This record gives sequence, structure tokens and C-alpha cells, in this order.
Amino acid sequence: MNYQTVEYFIREVMLSFKRNNWMALASVLTVTISLFILGMFFIIILNLNQMASNLESQVQISVYLKNGLSQKETQALGKKIAALNGIETVKYVSKAQAMERFQKQLGDQKYLLTALDNTNPLPDSFEITVENPNTVKDIAEKIQSFSGVDTAVFAQDVVEHLFDIARMIRIIGFSIMAVLAGATIFIISNTIRLTVFARRREIAIMKYVGATDWFIRWPFLLEGVLLGFIGGIIAAFLLNITYTALTEKIYHTIAFFPLIALYPFLHYVALSTILSGIAIGALGSTISIKRFLKV
Amino acid sequence: MANEQKASIIKMNRVCKTYENGTIALENINVDIKRGEFVFIVGSSGSGKSTFIRLLLREVIPNAGTLLVNGYNVEKMQRGQIPYLRRSLGVIFQDYRLLPNKTVYENVAFAMRVIEAPRRIILRSVNSVLEVVGLREKYKCFPHQLSGGEQQRVAIARAIVNNPSLVIADEPTGNLDPETSWGIMDIFQRINKSGTTIVMATHDKNIVDTMQKRVIAIDKGHIVRDDCYGGYGYL
Repeated sequence: MNYQTVEYFIREVMLSFKRNNWMALASVLTVTISLFILGMFFIIILNLNQMASNLESQVQISVYLKNGLSQKETQALGKKIAALNGIETVKYVSKAQAMERFQKQLGDQKYLLTALDNTNPLPDSFEITVENPNTVKDIAEKIQSFSGVDTAVFAQDVVEHLFDIARMIRIIGFSIMAVLAGATIFIISNTIRLTVFARRREIAIMKYVGATDWFIRWPFLLEGVLLGFIGGIIAAFLLNITYTALTEKIYHTIAFFPLIALYPFLHYVALSTILSGIAIGALGSTISIKRFLKV
Repeated sequence: MANEQKASIIKMNRVCKTYENGTIALENINVDIKRGEFVFIVGSSGSGKSTFIRLLLREVIPNAGTLLVNGYNVEKMQRGQIPYLRRSLGVIFQDYRLLPNKTVYENVAFAMRVIEAPRRIILRSVNSVLEVVGLREKYKCFPHQLSGGEQQRVAIARAIVNNPSLVIADEPTGNLDPETSWGIMDIFQRINKSGTTIVMATHDKNIVDTMQKRVIAIDKGHIVRDDCYGGYGYL
């Protein structure tokens, strides 16, 4: 393919844009809207995942000890736990320390403790963090079986809930994405079909004078790709603005909310949005070329 | 030169064509056309004349027999080869088939552009074929500004601009008055004199009788006559 041919293809595409300008605009807008929604879901899912793994890494096992353990027995138990595979830290929290912390947590409602008549019902405990969050459950079960241990608990529910939410959003997101992508491909293929129709005489003549199939197909493929590309760029731009504004707003209210940092994250989002636009455009025109362009 | 003249450019051997709806268009056709010949294909509508032309362009494929066009084995040709067969042919139709939004020059250049000829060569070749058909001054005109005869001359220019060794014309004078038709035939004769083979399907008894060229008459899917210097006959 030489320079002159490329120039010819580009001119053909521009001509067809001019000829079907409303349809081209509709295609670009559909691509933009679809990719914007797609991108928003993508951003939300990634952020939820980040939050979930953030929380997960903070998950610790609280091991409550039976009452009346001697100091020696407690120490031995602590060593035994520390010797397990995958343990990161083991911290001893005495009855008294636990009560102190509890009082602090209650804050203004400290008066509630007066009902206890100065007895301390809280047990001694170990607070354990693990190296790999996935092993939390196994380790907790193992510790549970040690003598001297009353219960070993961890905040399983919270993490699992968060993962559930992320999973649900992912499923909903993917369904919506699939529908939108389908609609976009349909609209683009329709636009290309109009172009094929507008140029049917030309195509017939091209065949008679010996143009190759690909020479005939190229301008249509290029048109679809360009529609998708333009839509992708606009969507990437809108996503950029939206996410920047959103993070600013969230940080304003909750300073340490674990959102994914703007950059390079937004670069990746922009890149994948534009690439998806191109892919959708190419797919849309390929369908039309196959169905309506009998070369 | 003498040897070259004798080589076949079209060779049909027991060619049959039956359409999917069961219509038998051509049956057991044997034809041998040599390089440099001028051949009329005559016959009434529905005789199989059009199918004969479409076979040469590989718009349809024979059901049986072998078909050689310009060195290509048309019946066993791969899809990807079809464009190269067509580049070696020039085709002209009754309805001209020009692009209405392109000028005379662009219409002719179009045939070169799609086979990716360099611009320099396009300019030279288009000017020279427009000279041959006598439309050099009208290169800027659009088809609707031309008469029927002029439009057909543009179509001829487009057909010969890539220097084909075989020109196939399907009723090229069908829409033209007798006087204009003779102008077209004059151009064909000049092209033929330069060594290009011409196969022309026609209804025009007057032209066939006057030109005294080889005539192949087709009726009901069979060749009923193949005369070296014939007339239209009574078909």
C-alpha cells in the first residue's frame, strides 16, 4: 500500500463523514456514552477491589484466652502461635489494657461501665496479623484448637461483604457493558452500511477494473475505526474530568479514603478506553463489511 | 508477431452454465478466440449471450468444462486472483457505468487508482486515452454534462487505460443512435488495430453486417453459427 493509496482512503473516509454527518455524529456519541459508562464501572470496580484488599491486609485475628492461665502458660502459648507458618506479628493484650482501650472507644458513653461495678469481664488476648490475608481462616482455626484458647475470631464478615459487593457490581457492570458494547457495535455497523450503500456503484466499478477485495474494504474499516477512536478520546477525556472531580470531593470529606491515586491510573483508563473504542469500531465495520459488502 | 496472433486469448472447452434456479444458460460451448481478433457475439435476449460475457469476467463460474481467459484458468481460479484477471481485461457496458460525482478525468483515472498506479503514470495514461477517444478538452466535465456517445467514450477510455489485451463490450451501442454508434465502432476498430482483442455482444444487425468480422451466434444456450466474416443472419 503506497502513500497515494493511503491518501485516497483518508479522503474517502472524510467524504463519507460529510455525506452521513448525522449518522457519524450519532455513532461517535454512542461510542462516547457507552465507553464513559463502561469506564465508570471499571473505575468503581477497581476502587472497590483496592478497598477490599486494603481492609483485608488489616485483618487481624483476636485470640481470647481462657481465664486463670498462668503467666508461663500464656507465654508458652504466645510462642506456639508465633511459631505457626505465615504469622507476621503477635501482640499480647492484657485484661487491663483491653479495658483501657474499651473505655477509650466508648468515649462519651464511658458511664456505661459503671454497671460493671469495677469488675473487668474482658479476657487476656493475643492480636495476630498474618502475612497473607487468604490464610486468616486456616490460622484462626488452628489456633482455636490450642489448649488455653477460648476463641479465635477475625473480622471475616466485613471483608467478605466488601468482596460480595465488588463481585455484584462487577457482574452488573459487565452485563451493562455487554449490552452497551452490543448497541455501539450495531450503530457503527449501521453507519458503515449506509456508506456501503452510498458507494455501491463505485464498488461495482472497482470490482470490474480489478481492485482487490482489501482495497475495497479498507476505507470502510478505517471509517469504523475512526468513529470508535474519536468516541474513545472524548470518553477518556470525560472520565478524566469526572474521576478527578470525584476524588477531590471525597478527599474533602474523608481525608484518608483509600482511592486509587489519579496518576498513572487515569493514563491506563484513557488508554484502555481509546483502545476499546477502536476495537468496537473495527468490529462494527467488520460486521457490515461481511454482511453488506459483497466484494 | 505472426505467432502471437495465433495464440488463444479465450478458449472455452465444453463449457456449461446452469443457474441455481435450474435455467440452463449455456450448454457444451466450444470457442477459441485468438489474440488480436474482433468478434461479435450475437443472439436474442435470453439466448445466453450475457452469460457468455459474465463467464469471461468471472462473475459466474461454469458448472462444467474449462475456460481459459488471457492465460487464467477461470474455472479453478482462487478468489484472490480475480482482480488480476480483471486488470488484464477492459469492460464496457450498455449503461456506461460512470461515477456521476467524478469528472471525466477522475472517472478514467479511477481505474488506475484502484490498482495503485503511481500518480505520474496516471496523468500520462489518462491524457493519452482521452486523446484516443477524442475527449481531451472535456476532461473537466461531469458525466451529466456529456451526451450518451461521449459518456460511452469515457467508459471506453476507462476500459483501455490500463492497456488490457482483451476488451469486452456488452451492447456498447445499445443506448445510442446509429450515427453515434458508428463513432464508437470507429474507436473500437482503432483499438483493435493496435493489437487489442475485442469481444462485443450486440443486437445491432446493421453494425455486424457492415463490419464483416467474426460472428458467433448463440441461441438457446448453444452456438448455432461461428463465421469468420459473417453477417448478423436471421436470428
